[in-house]
Amino acid sequence: PAGRTSRAAAPIVVKLGTIAPEGTTWYNSLRIMADRWNQLSGGRVTVKIYAGAVLGNEGAMVRKMRIGQIHAAAMTNLGILDIDPAPQVINTPMLIRSYEELDFVMDRMTPTFDARLLERGFIALNWGEAGWARLFSKKPVRGPADASGVKIYAWDGDANAVEVFRKAGFSPVVLASTDVLPSLQSGLVEAFPAPPLAALSMQWFALAPNMLDVPWAPLVGGTVITRAMWDQIPAELHAPLLQAARELGEGLKNDVRSQDRKAVPVMQKYGLQVVQVDAATQAQWETRARSLYPYIRAKVVPTDIFDMTQASVEEYRTTH
Amino acid sequence: MPPENPTGPGPVLGAVLRAERGLSVVLLGAMVVLTLAGAVARWVTGQGVAGLSVYVQSMNLWIALAGASLAARAGRHLALSSGSLLERRPRLARITRGLAAAVSTAVTALLAWASVELVVAERASHVTLAGGIPVWLVECALPLGFLVMAFRLAWHGSTTWKGRVAALLAVGLAASMALIPPHLRGVASTAGIVVILAAVALGAPLFTALGGIAMLLFFGEPVPTPISSVPAETYAMVASPTLPTIPLFTLAGYLLAEGGASKRLVRLFQAWVGWIPGGTAAAAVLVCAFFTTFTGASGVTILALGGLLLPILMKAGYPERFAIGLLTASGSIGLLFPPSLTVILYGVVANVAIDDLYLAGLVPGVLLVLLLAGAGLAASLVHRTPRPRFDPRDALSALWAARWEVPIPFLIIGGIFGGFMTILEAAALTAAYAFVSEVVVHRDLSLRTDVPRLFAETATIVGGVLVVLGMALGFTNYLVDAEIPMHAAHWVQAHVESRLAFILLLNGFLLVVGCLMDVFSAIVVVVPLIAPMGLAFGLDPLHLGIIFLANLELGYLTPPVGMNLFLASFRFNRPLVAIYRTAVPFLLVLGLGVVLIAYVPALTTSTVEMVRRGEEAPPSSDEVRRMLEADEPPAPGLPSAGDLMQEL
Ligand code: NA
Ligand code: NA
Repeated sequence: PAGRTSRAAAPIVVKLGTIAPEGTTWYNSLRIMADRWNQLSGGRVTVKIYAGAVLGNEGAMVRKMRIGQIHAAAMTNLGILDIDPAPQVINTPMLIRSYEELDFVMDRMTPTFDARLLERGFIALNWGEAGWARLFSKKPVRGPADASGVKIYAWDGDANAVEVFRKAGFSPVVLASTDVLPSLQSGLVEAFPAPPLAALSMQWFALAPNMLDVPWAPLVGGTVITRAMWDQIPAELHAPLLQAARELGEGLKNDVRSQDRKAVPVMQKYGLQVVQVDAATQAQWETRARSLYPYIRAKVVPTDIFDMTQASVEEYRTTH
Repeated sequence: MPPENPTGPGPVLGAVLRAERGLSVVLLGAMVVLTLAGAVARWVTGQGVAGLSVYVQSMNLWIALAGASLAARAGRHLALSSGSLLERRPRLARITRGLAAAVSTAVTALLAWASVELVVAERASHVTLAGGIPVWLVECALPLGFLVMAFRLAWHGSTTWKGRVAALLAVGLAASMALIPPHLRGVASTAGIVVILAAVALGAPLFTALGGIAMLLFFGEPVPTPISSVPAETYAMVASPTLPTIPLFTLAGYLLAEGGASKRLVRLFQAWVGWIPGGTAAAAVLVCAFFTTFTGASGVTILALGGLLLPILMKAGYPERFAIGLLTASGSIGLLFPPSLTVILYGVVANVAIDDLYLAGLVPGVLLVLLLAGAGLAASLVHRTPRPRFDPRDALSALWAARWEVPIPFLIIGGIFGGFMTILEAAALTAAYAFVSEVVVHRDLSLRTDVPRLFAETATIVGGVLVVLGMALGFTNYLVDAEIPMHAAHWVQAHVESRLAFILLLNGFLLVVGCLMDVFSAIVVVVPLIAPMGLAFGLDPLHLGIIFLANLELGYLTPPVGMNLFLASFRFNRPLVAIYRTAVPFLLVLGLGVVLIAYVPALTTSTVEMVRRGEEAPPSSDEVRRMLEADEPPAPGLPSAGDLMQEL
């Protein structure tokens, strides 16, 4: 028993990676989670945060979790995609139309997402968002007809997204994210999709200062920990640690939503034009978005997941 | 062809060798063709080809490992060749060589094992390249490459069976470290590091030092971390869209240098600038600066242009030692000018406006170029280089002779600035253009014999460079994992009070960083730590940025492991120690410039103030943060996503 106590008392170090730089709301929330975990475990669990992408991009973080160099990561949709394509269903263009719908759908889908992550060796500590993506372009884009021929940035790590943009009428240009700024400058790329918060913090909006005010898709993200590390943490701590992570995730989600909204007036102060559209144009975009669903259902996310998500959207709309 | 092994390669080894050479020709060719095909497809259809760049980046990893393995066979891995010091003691030299070979074999075998662990972990991932090739298959380059390298290092490192058995024993010893209980691992790790440092001093390849020490440090951590963390970071090279420019520009440089382009360009330079004192040297510096702005700071310039410019400088009467030093120093000059990717990356990470950063870097960049050009002028006066008279007719005929080579820079600038191409596409186009002009038009190179040889030579050089870079990334990964840069930053915050002391410390620190890390790691890892400190000490963020970048340039030139020194050693085929000697005077000259940049802020800030007078500055990251976190409701008149949807 003595040996056992000393082993249990040995501190467990959880290394957690994120691309969020120190000082941001996202980072601060992780910092608070680290402190809460330390408190709740009576000092047995310490979380070390590696902020600002010092561990590489999210793909690299997932790889580092797989080999065991780090044990947890707070990620955007891109990192989650490297673990499981299913949660991407939330990013389906114009499938979900409001934060109320999003909350309802996430409530329904989270158990499925969690189970799929567990099968892949990860535990979801919380689910959140990276904002609601919109289109930013050099020249104003109003309706789907304006999209034709517009060279839009497509991330080179995701071949499916390229096809989705192509089918949506754009001309996707495949680039690494570091190439986006110079390419916007030279005109190799004329538009990009991003949540306002991201467009502001990456300074991309200055080079494509027209934002189409059609909410394209929410980007789902979350914090995960490897099952191997979770199993090392004493089982009696699992429930309280998870609860702390979920509470903080909820708070962060609301902060991100509010900042994603506030980012727009901030960018307007620095020259952003918001391109408003009427109901008819909005409807045209929705038709265009719906034409993408067969492809997304067949190729991008598992079919049953797509159907489940669509069903819960319908359920929300009939019950509210 | 490299000299054949005295014992002969044997049928199996011969097949491996043919496979590696064949692979390097096919991969390099495919990188050029695929990149160009993607560009053409975009010009024609208006759309990019999905997943193509990831393929090219993956091929770059395979080229790196195949090339590194060729380099191991030819004994061309970068090493501190102190063996020459023991020329008069052949027996001692043989023993030390055997010891170095045993240690490097053991480290490389461990790297192969660590890579196997990486591949096994990756098999759990569903991620594939476009077309369904799983990532773990791409990663297989690492275990395969290191395995072949380990055999080569054991086989060629020693000519006697005794030595080869010693290498095998060393591998066993390294593998048995896994049995060491956790509380003794720190001691074992330290002992291992001492052994590796000794082996490198005796001539073991440098990549084994970086990779071996990184693995030992991970192994010796209080909470041991898997050694696969080292090759995992080497694999991360695949994520870089700019690294594949290294083999492509190197290939272009080789084709041009070995074709007749050197002769034609020597004549062109002589005719146009040879009459100006120091003119040829100044022109060489300008060409390098210009090229670096497009390729970033990775020192590709030395690989691409070194072979062309060295004969030009020597023909103009500069001593070889001066010429090599000047070209080595010029390898990262020009980093501050647009469209340098390094500046963009700094701006993104530090949240500084990128065009302002370019403006701020203008005077400092010109200063560094002038200092090197001045060194050229001094050398031309001291060595009394001949000065041919300017003859317009001769100048025009030289220009006509070089009509196929002269358009190359315009092709690159026009393509990138005009928004037609990415930097990678420009590199592929340059390689294809060089191939056509030297092989098809001028017929200076034979398709049958010269071309395969130059492709294999390019792979060997690039492999040697990339494997060092890959291991440096693994080493950086340890520094980050152990939070060493963070601890250093906290120490500074606690102990340094005056601004001047901070700048001085920063200069020294960045010299070490530039010497150890590649530029992209340095920016991502170090900038977030020093940017807030700079603000706290009242440094202008633009000034800090230029100090940072100028210091990194200097770091590339700093012995013992500055990247430019490696590249020069490879390209000019000189021992690393000889390169150190040629580079030190230039290090001092450029050091003077960096000191001026650091202590005279007006050099950076005045240009920006002049241009930006009366304009509203863009928001700083702190301002943005404050505005976003403010509690008051956002400006009226803008419907949010939710509101808009409610209305519908
Ligand atoms: Na990295
Ligand atoms: Na790195």
